Amino acid sequence: MNVRGLIVTLVLGLPAGGLLLFGPRGQYDAPPGRVVVRYWEKWTGAEGATMARLVERFNRTVGAERNIWVQYIAVSNIEQRTLIATAGGDPPDIAGLYDYIVPQYADQGALRPLEEEARAAGIALDALRPIWLEIGRYRGTLYALPSTPYTIALYYNRTLLRAAGLDPDRPPATLAELSEYARRLTRTETYGLPGGGTGTRIVQAGFTPSTAMLGWWPWVWPCFFDGRLWDGQRFTLDTPAGRAAVRWLADLRRAQGPERMLSFEGTAGAIESAQNPFLAGQVAMVFQGPWLTNWIARYAPELDYGVAPFPSVTAERRHAFASTDVLVIPSSARHPREAMTFLAFVLRQDVLEELCREHNKLSPFREPLPDFYARHPNPHIRVFEELAASPYVFGYPSMPTWLRVMDESKQLLNLVLRDPDQADAALEAAQRKADAIVREYEAMAARRRGAGR
Amino acid sequence: MRPAGGAGRGRRELRTGLLWTAPWWLGFLFFLAVPMGMSLYISFCDYPLLQPPVFIGTANYAALAGDPVFGKVLVNTLVFAALAIPLGTVLAILLAVLLNQNLPGQGLFRTCLFVPTVVPLVGAALVWLWLLNPEYGLINAALRPLAPLASGANELIAALGGGRRLSWLSELAAGPQWLSSPHWAMAALVLISLWGVGSAVVIYLAGLQEIPVDLYEAAMLDGASAARRFWHVTLPGLSPVILFNVITGLIGTWQIFALPYVLMRGEQGPGRSTYFYTMYLFDNAFRYLKMGYASAMAWIQLLIMLLLTGLVFWVGRRTVHYRGG
Repeated sequence: MNVRGLIVTLVLGLPAGGLLLFGPRGQYDAPPGRVVVRYWEKWTGAEGATMARLVERFNRTVGAERNIWVQYIAVSNIEQRTLIATAGGDPPDIAGLYDYIVPQYADQGALRPLEEEARAAGIALDALRPIWLEIGRYRGTLYALPSTPYTIALYYNRTLLRAAGLDPDRPPATLAELSEYARRLTRTETYGLPGGGTGTRIVQAGFTPSTAMLGWWPWVWPCFFDGRLWDGQRFTLDTPAGRAAVRWLADLRRAQGPERMLSFEGTAGAIESAQNPFLAGQVAMVFQGPWLTNWIARYAPELDYGVAPFPSVTAERRHAFASTDVLVIPSSARHPREAMTFLAFVLRQDVLEELCREHNKLSPFREPLPDFYARHPNPHIRVFEELAASPYVFGYPSMPTWLRVMDESKQLLNLVLRDPDQADAALEAAQRKADAIVREYEAMAARRRGAGR
Repeated sequence: MRPAGGAGRGRRELRTGLLWTAPWWLGFLFFLAVPMGMSLYISFCDYPLLQPPVFIGTANYAALAGDPVFGKVLVNTLVFAALAIPLGTVLAILLAVLLNQNLPGQGLFRTCLFVPTVVPLVGAALVWLWLLNPEYGLINAALRPLAPLASGANELIAALGGGRRLSWLSELAAGPQWLSSPHWAMAALVLISLWGVGSAVVIYLAGLQEIPVDLYEAAMLDGASAARRFWHVTLPGLSPVILFNVITGLIGTWQIFALPYVLMRGEQGPGRSTYFYTMYLFDNAFRYLKMGYASAMAWIQLLIMLLLTGLVFWVGRRTVHYRGG
């Protein structure tokens, strides 16, 4: 190497080496001597700011006493990132995941069992409503603690009910009533075609389970017919409840006209905007969670609406879907003890209810503090709370193959909505696919056990 | 005879060369060759990412052969490529030829055509969602005059074919439900893919300007019409550029992911009609935790792309004209 080469190498190499050795190392400013607990969470914006504030409070109080510093990192696509980080052996110490992913990760041994450590850390698990613990369990072991829980209810537009001659103080209580309300609340208009003739189109639907129009849980319907989809061994669509649900969906669709409804559903605007189909008065009744109240307040503050339990097949057995964001500790986390200390802080009733209130969610506690309701921004929060207390409340099926099976359920719903006459055949086909998915997974698991993993 | 010390100098030069090219070959080694080797091994394993891989031989490849969803995404991707590449190529060439004319406002037209390629995909997808709105969209409004024609054609088909109507024609008559009909969702995606034709147009424009003017002059002296000049001068002159664009288009269409993902809001489309190869690969790897299966898919994808690229080159050997070659 000649002198010029040496100079170029030094000019380029020295800054690069300097950056590598002494360059920036991340954006946290943990006081020296503290154990840094990395906490990945999916929340950004106002939701993220609330959690960041609680983290800051922890760092100032409990963290200062125990020499712990929690670093809050908002992460997009948190499931995939946590997965890759865990597979790479460098997971966060705490991850804020969605509940439906827990069985999949727990089955792979990626999550740390929490029950004993949580009790030892002073978390009053018995003070939580049973459904929120049940959701965090997989095969009897607790892997996830609830952070911001919610249930799903029926939102209905009181103005549209009134206009259709229905009592706005008496929302439908059974699925048969829901169908009847949907029929009466569906409005069409006639329009002229070029070259003469007329066509009709739907301008307002009473109710639609379409994913395009706020029907975000395409698998859920058999549960409102007294069915439960996962019995621990089989995902069952072909039960009497499953068949009744598919027939109900098909009948509802036929009454509205499948092709006209598809066209109508194609007009749905962005969900978080004034074009939201419920806010715009396109759909009179929707199956939605407490966050819809936020959007109403922001984009349609004049909307006269009500919230009620979603109807079930009978008025006596009110089924309710419950779900929650969860906090987990990956099994290969570097600081699990310190992570549990932070979780114990977050699970304190005053702290967690502050978080839930600001996220417009429910309290996971059996007996919320009086302040929780008094300051809650959602005037209908008690309806959602009552659903969580229902003996007929249910969560996502606790199965490790849930995402695959859910995709098949989604396809089933799409097929029924497009061609209700093929509903029975579509259900049989979806059942066969679900069985194949579970069988394949079990074969893999058996092979893995055989390989000693 | 080599001068004394030549071997030492050669070794020194080799070392220097290796040192200076280290960023590339280290990158190649650690970020391409090793991952590819690992991916090949994993394709023969059951690997749920969170546990170590277990060797299962060719079971993943055998399972792919019997997987109806794999068949569906393969066909979807092939159909998309078969429609989007020829249509995109023809449209891009025609636009490039038009923009190559010495007309006023040429720069403005060129800019207008290129602008869509710099619009962020999410923004473009939102615009297209409105354009394709089945009730209030501009595209269905433009198609509405065709409704009686489509309806009439379908009645004729029904009369000739024992009462059987074509469902896609019925949908056309009623106004296509672009994104919610399995018959039209693919057409919608192909249509939207043409929106980004501007980048190919720019390359074709550069190619057109490389074609010697004397060839056109000679053809005109021989009395060739504009169409014959296009066929016998422009197209052969552009053929190396066409080959390049077709190959990059082929690779691009086989990797289609973001457009259907954004447009269908992460869904697989009606009847999985807009579910493509890389989307299923992604789902297997990162949602279903079947990394071995996804790796097998990736290797099959690579083989398919090599095969198709080889086929294009083979066709190109007969049809592509290189100047002086």
